[in-house]
Amino acid sequence: MNLVETPAEAQKNQSYYNALVELLYQFADDDFIVSFRGSEWLGLAPHIEEDVAFSSITQNTMGHAFLFYQLLEDLGEGSADSLAHDRSASERRNAVYFEKVNGKGTYVEEPYYDWALTVVRQFLYETFKKVKLQAASRSSYEPLAHTAQKILMEQPYHLAHWKMWITQLHGATEEARMRIHSRLEEAWREILDALELGPLAEEMERQKLIKKEKDLQEEWQQSVEETLGFLPNIPLGKNLGNGRAKQHTKDLEQALATLTEVYVSDREAVW
Amino acid sequence: MADKKTEANFYKKYEVFSKKNEKSPIQHQFSLLAPNAEMALNLAQENFMRRENVIDVWVVPREEIRGLTSEERKQWTKRLDNKDYRTTKGYGYLRKKWREKEQGMLDEKEILSWKEVKKK
Amino acid sequence: MYNLVEHGIYSENEQKEDPEKYEEFMARIEAGEKIEADDWMPDEYRQTLIKLISMHGISEIMGALPEKEWVPKAPTLKRKLGIMAKVQDEMGHGQLLLRVAEDLMAPYGKDRGDLMRDLLEGKLKFHNVFHMPTKTWADAGVIGWLVDGAAIISQTNMLDASYGPYQRALQRICAEEVFHAQHGEAIVMALAEGTKEQRAMLQDAVNRWWSALLMFFGPASASTTGSSKQEVTTKYRIRKSSNEELRQAFLDKYLPRVFALGLTVPDETAHYDEDKQKWIYKQPDWTEFKKIISNNGPRSKERLRLREIAYENNSWVREALAPTAAMS
Repeated sequence: MNLVETPAEAQKNQSYYNALVELLYQFADDDFIVSFRGSEWLGLAPHIEEDVAFSSITQNTMGHAFLFYQLLEDLGEGSADSLAHDRSASERRNAVYFEKVNGKGTYVEEPYYDWALTVVRQFLYETFKKVKLQAASRSSYEPLAHTAQKILMEQPYHLAHWKMWITQLHGATEEARMRIHSRLEEAWREILDALELGPLAEEMERQKLIKKEKDLQEEWQQSVEETLGFLPNIPLGKNLGNGRAKQHTKDLEQALATLTEVYVSDREAVW
Repeated sequence: MADKKTEANFYKKYEVFSKKNEKSPIQHQFSLLAPNAEMALNLAQENFMRRENVIDVWVVPREEIRGLTSEERKQWTKRLDNKDYRTTKGYGYLRKKWREKEQGMLDEKEILSWKEVKKK
Repeated sequence: MYNLVEHGIYSENEQKEDPEKYEEFMARIEAGEKIEADDWMPDEYRQTLIKLISMHGISEIMGALPEKEWVPKAPTLKRKLGIMAKVQDEMGHGQLLLRVAEDLMAPYGKDRGDLMRDLLEGKLKFHNVFHMPTKTWADAGVIGWLVDGAAIISQTNMLDASYGPYQRALQRICAEEVFHAQHGEAIVMALAEGTKEQRAMLQDAVNRWWSALLMFFGPASASTTGSSKQEVTTKYRIRKSSNEELRQAFLDKYLPRVFALGLTVPDETAHYDEDKQKWIYKQPDWTEFKKIISNNGPRSKERLRLREIAYENNSWVREALAPTAAMS
């Protein structure tokens, strides 16, 4: 398969185009929602120094979502801002596990957020993001390959940060270990759609946009095991639904209502 | 409510240093609280250098630093102003002498420009 | 950035101090020397710094909360990124300032945990503006532009402060405030040049924030609320100007710009008096000010509640990683 260098070239082949935008929506929507859950923590982290560092990661992640939405904009899918702010839950491809609320309460009222959930989720996410980006950095769609390479430059810090948190907490008190364990098992039952490429997975592979989802999943699992020294002894599941197939929970509705509140109050205005 | 004594152990003071580029020396930035060196290091860069280039970071537990005490600073940092012989200031008269002999002075600017010599 | 308001966290040390040391100390600061954490200092100086800097620091932390309400709601991807970075800086400023305060409190055996507990128990106050509600996106703009503008005026006034660690923290903070000022201006500018609704939203925000902005600098003299300690901070060369001088400087810089955007302030008497060379304005309600800073403002309880939950709910994390716990 030859490299596809421009949006115009990608648009010439309909099945190539469809698989490509599907993949880009996954990347963009995952980063967008993960960054949102991170931004809800602002000012509420276990200590101030962590708050500052975590916010950098959250900003970077929103920056990555921005880059992917721009790739979609270049392909004629609409402006990056409208793609981020003006699509309903039923159009989003992010994995359902990432939209799950941080805990009880909201970010402005009674935020009983769980740091163990955040540490586990961010660690599993960043581990998978690295695997998926590495595969995308050899994509047949060159603009995607370039973007993936760029993001991989700053992503190692994210991964190192969450590796540190999960290993330190897991190796600390009994209480901390239990909290991490139970969030890990929960993740195992809910994260499977994140590790999948959705209904166009085969086409993505055939068009050399990215590698086989089975391979991605295996690499991810190995990498998680390398850090933790073990894996939960239960099968991976998607008990919350399948975000890649645009199935979502009310948690995403809540997130989108907040994220888009001002934007939708006047779509034409310059903000 | 958290146990105050246990929690106090979480707040360990680390001094943070960083290096901007290969040519610059390591420089003190600020201090932060973290429970261990690994976390201190991980948090340091985004806390103090999120807008600047950095190629290396050090963290040092505050208690491991033997600095001058307030008294020592007062006593050890003052010197008589009679050390011209240690600097070029004490040899400034050479410029005139060399000029008389129609030669230039080998001053700092000249000497530090000697990085390259002619290929022979 | 914050004025001292009596809250008496730490009991005054009654013991008479060595007059010789005191004189030497005063000579040093009058000669422009900087005092370091382990230098001898009069008790009054230490107490003043602790109150000033811990209030300044905790106000930055509490100040992140009203702005944070607008972080995910910011209307474009660029605005989302900008405001996230801005609120992150506020947390970062809190970090710098609390570190300075903590080192000053170390001789009393107090640490960050004590500061958080003092805040939650109402012994450590935070600045009046952060007790106020935010209603629309325009509030994010007005906070970034005018509240930060007021903060910049009072912080730059202390850039030569006699206490070295505070002075160095302020240097870092003020450098970042330049970005904050422009971030706020950018939001406000877009609204001011926007639709009728956007302009109305902006005017409404200015109206609601006006008296809080005047209060920001504190009362002109101690007689107003019986609690201003501005003389002590100038005596010790921590800041240079009085509350009223700072307020006038703020009005000098910002009111012409407010008017240039076609906005008004909710005070028909507000104008510059050429003869007196100063701004004339209606005094805000200083009884209300006292009420607000004693945690009875419109959003005081809710903001403290957020901090309390953040502190208590995560205590297991700090306990788990406290070195002794990790070794057990």
